[in-house]
Amino acid sequence: MKLLRAWLVGIPAYLWSGWGAMASLLMLVALWEWGSQVFGALVLPAPVEALRTLAELIASGAAWPELAATARRALTGYAASIIAGSVLGLIAGLSVTASMTSRPIVTVLMGTPPIAWLVLALLWFGAGDATPVFTVFIACFPLVFLGAMQGARTLDNQLRDMAVVFGVPRRMMLTDVYLPHVISYLLPAWTAALGMSWKIAVMAELLSTSDGVGAALAVSRSHLDSAATMAWITAVMTLLLGVEYLLLEPLKREVERWRDQVAT
Amino acid sequence: MRLDDARRAPLLYCGFRPFYLATAAYAMVALLLAVALPMSEGVMGGRVAWHVHELIFGFALASIAGFLLTAIPEFTSSAPLQGRPLAVLFAWWLAARLGAVFADVTGLVPLAIASTGFILHLLLLVAAPAWRAPGRQQMGFVYALATLASMEAGYLIAAWRGVPVMPWLTAAVGVLMMLIVISMSRISLRLVNDALQARGGDHPPYLARPPRRNLATTTIALYTGVEFLLPGNAIGGWLALAAAAAMFNLLNDWHVGRSLFSRWVLPLYGVYCCIALGYALLGLSLLGGWFAPSAGRHLMLIGGAGLAMLIVMLVSGRTHSGHALDERRWVMVAIGMIITAALARTLWGLLAGSGVVVMALLAVALGAWIAAFALYLAHSWRVLGGPRPDGGHDCSAPPLAVVSCDGIREHGPGPCGAP
Repeated sequence: MKLLRAWLVGIPAYLWSGWGAMASLLMLVALWEWGSQVFGALVLPAPVEALRTLAELIASGAAWPELAATARRALTGYAASIIAGSVLGLIAGLSVTASMTSRPIVTVLMGTPPIAWLVLALLWFGAGDATPVFTVFIACFPLVFLGAMQGARTLDNQLRDMAVVFGVPRRMMLTDVYLPHVISYLLPAWTAALGMSWKIAVMAELLSTSDGVGAALAVSRSHLDSAATMAWITAVMTLLLGVEYLLLEPLKREVERWRDQVAT
Repeated sequence: MRLDDARRAPLLYCGFRPFYLATAAYAMVALLLAVALPMSEGVMGGRVAWHVHELIFGFALASIAGFLLTAIPEFTSSAPLQGRPLAVLFAWWLAARLGAVFADVTGLVPLAIASTGFILHLLLLVAAPAWRAPGRQQMGFVYALATLASMEAGYLIAAWRGVPVMPWLTAAVGVLMMLIVISMSRISLRLVNDALQARGGDHPPYLARPPRRNLATTTIALYTGVEFLLPGNAIGGWLALAAAAAMFNLLNDWHVGRSLFSRWVLPLYGVYCCIALGYALLGLSLLGGWFAPSAGRHLMLIGGAGLAMLIVMLVSGRTHSGHALDERRWVMVAIGMIITAALARTLWGLLAGSGVVVMALLAVALGAWIAAFALYLAHSWRVLGGPRPDGGHDCSAPPLAVVSCDGIREHGPGPCGAP
């Protein structure tokens, strides 16, 4: 209860700290505006134009189904990759042999361009949800796997031995010794994978589905509608920023608080 | 000789004394003159340009001069300007104001000589100790002042050539905002920590962190540059919004719990809010064109610059003349008046019309502004023009206030016999 109160009290300060991010994003928008003025609206529409188009898309109800479809595919693939990647990575990290064996395989997976997976997925699953979901999964998996493996590999054995000597119960070993360390490796991997999942999902949709933001982008490209293109990109970016700053970043701060406490 | 002069006239003990008096007096006079003075379009660029020029280079620069002539010697441990040399510097300022008032009769030359003479003289006085000080931490003031000087030169040349002068004046507004952000960080350090200390507890000390301040001054500088080169452009609109966000970001340092609501902290917080909201309105006006940019500009100039100057004069004007901070009610009334003026003038800019209510707003803004500085003048002229209570002849500020007596905080054993 005390923790919840402290967390709730911290929310306004956390939200207020977003002004700094807002300032740098607005400078980026100013750069976008400059680009649009230099290269013309056909190449790069003005931010106001893109926002107006986005507002129209939202008002007409056209935006939500597409965004929901992309979100569904990206998050399904993402969830599968973080579950499989984290579990398998941790297991692999516990054994030196498994780590040695899996490393080249993961390197191959990492090195394969997502577009190649997409082509394979199209052949295997055809057009539909499975193709983007699989592409997201296979692109994000090695990233999470590596993070988890690294986390398990770098566990401090001395710390563990000390805990064993002091007779620390198993549950406490897990929550106070293993978990904080592993999480500090997992979270950056999860964050990176989340950003990637959206990009991959949109890319996969562009070629494989008839709905979702990717498909909408394909339509706007064929109509040479750059305002709609930027509107969709803005929508995806806004969602991504929302998830990153409202969900993952607070989680990261909460989990990594022990580091500050150790440091001070 | 200088010491003798200082002994003779308390008004010349320290730079802030004549300049704060002049700031308060000219705040009222300049505004009334801007409304009533007969003037042609030719010499200084018209009535609006005269109004902007005099409030920046007359009113605001006088208070900046007073602040810098007091703060720089304190920060750099150098000798303050006193006596006759101070009188000479003040004479430059006065001559520049007379030059502006009579510009229609005398032409631009007297104003140009006096105004550039004043700024360059001030720049020289500030730059020398700031440059010599170890670490050169106060050079930011010198750069800002030098930029302001070049804006004045640009304005004068534009007015002389008969080309539009407003870009130079709006750029000067940006430089003024940067100067306020830099100065406020120094002043707030003392005021906020005083408030924290007074409240007790184990709150960590307030720190005006440079990265956030640098982001704020950078965005303001970017906006100012774009506005100067591409007036009315949407790029400026986005940068103004970025400046607003960066100013709000600066307030992260200020969320220090209940001490924020103390008498000398909340108005300073208001200064930042007004500047941030002013830039937000400027950005929206450039992007959407719903209202004139003057609404946002007045919010940051009255509620930001005007209020900042009033607070600085209230604080450093008293402490550096050997008095404790004034805890009486009129201070809050004067601060309230400035905020009223800022809101009324901004609302007038947003509504943009000529109805009775709209005109009443303008009258309220004018009246409240004049009332605030009249109050300041009425309560401060004795402090600024009179001898120090400790019998000294310098600019030194006493240590932290400890005793309360008749609503005025005193230092150490006061006249009411408190310990």
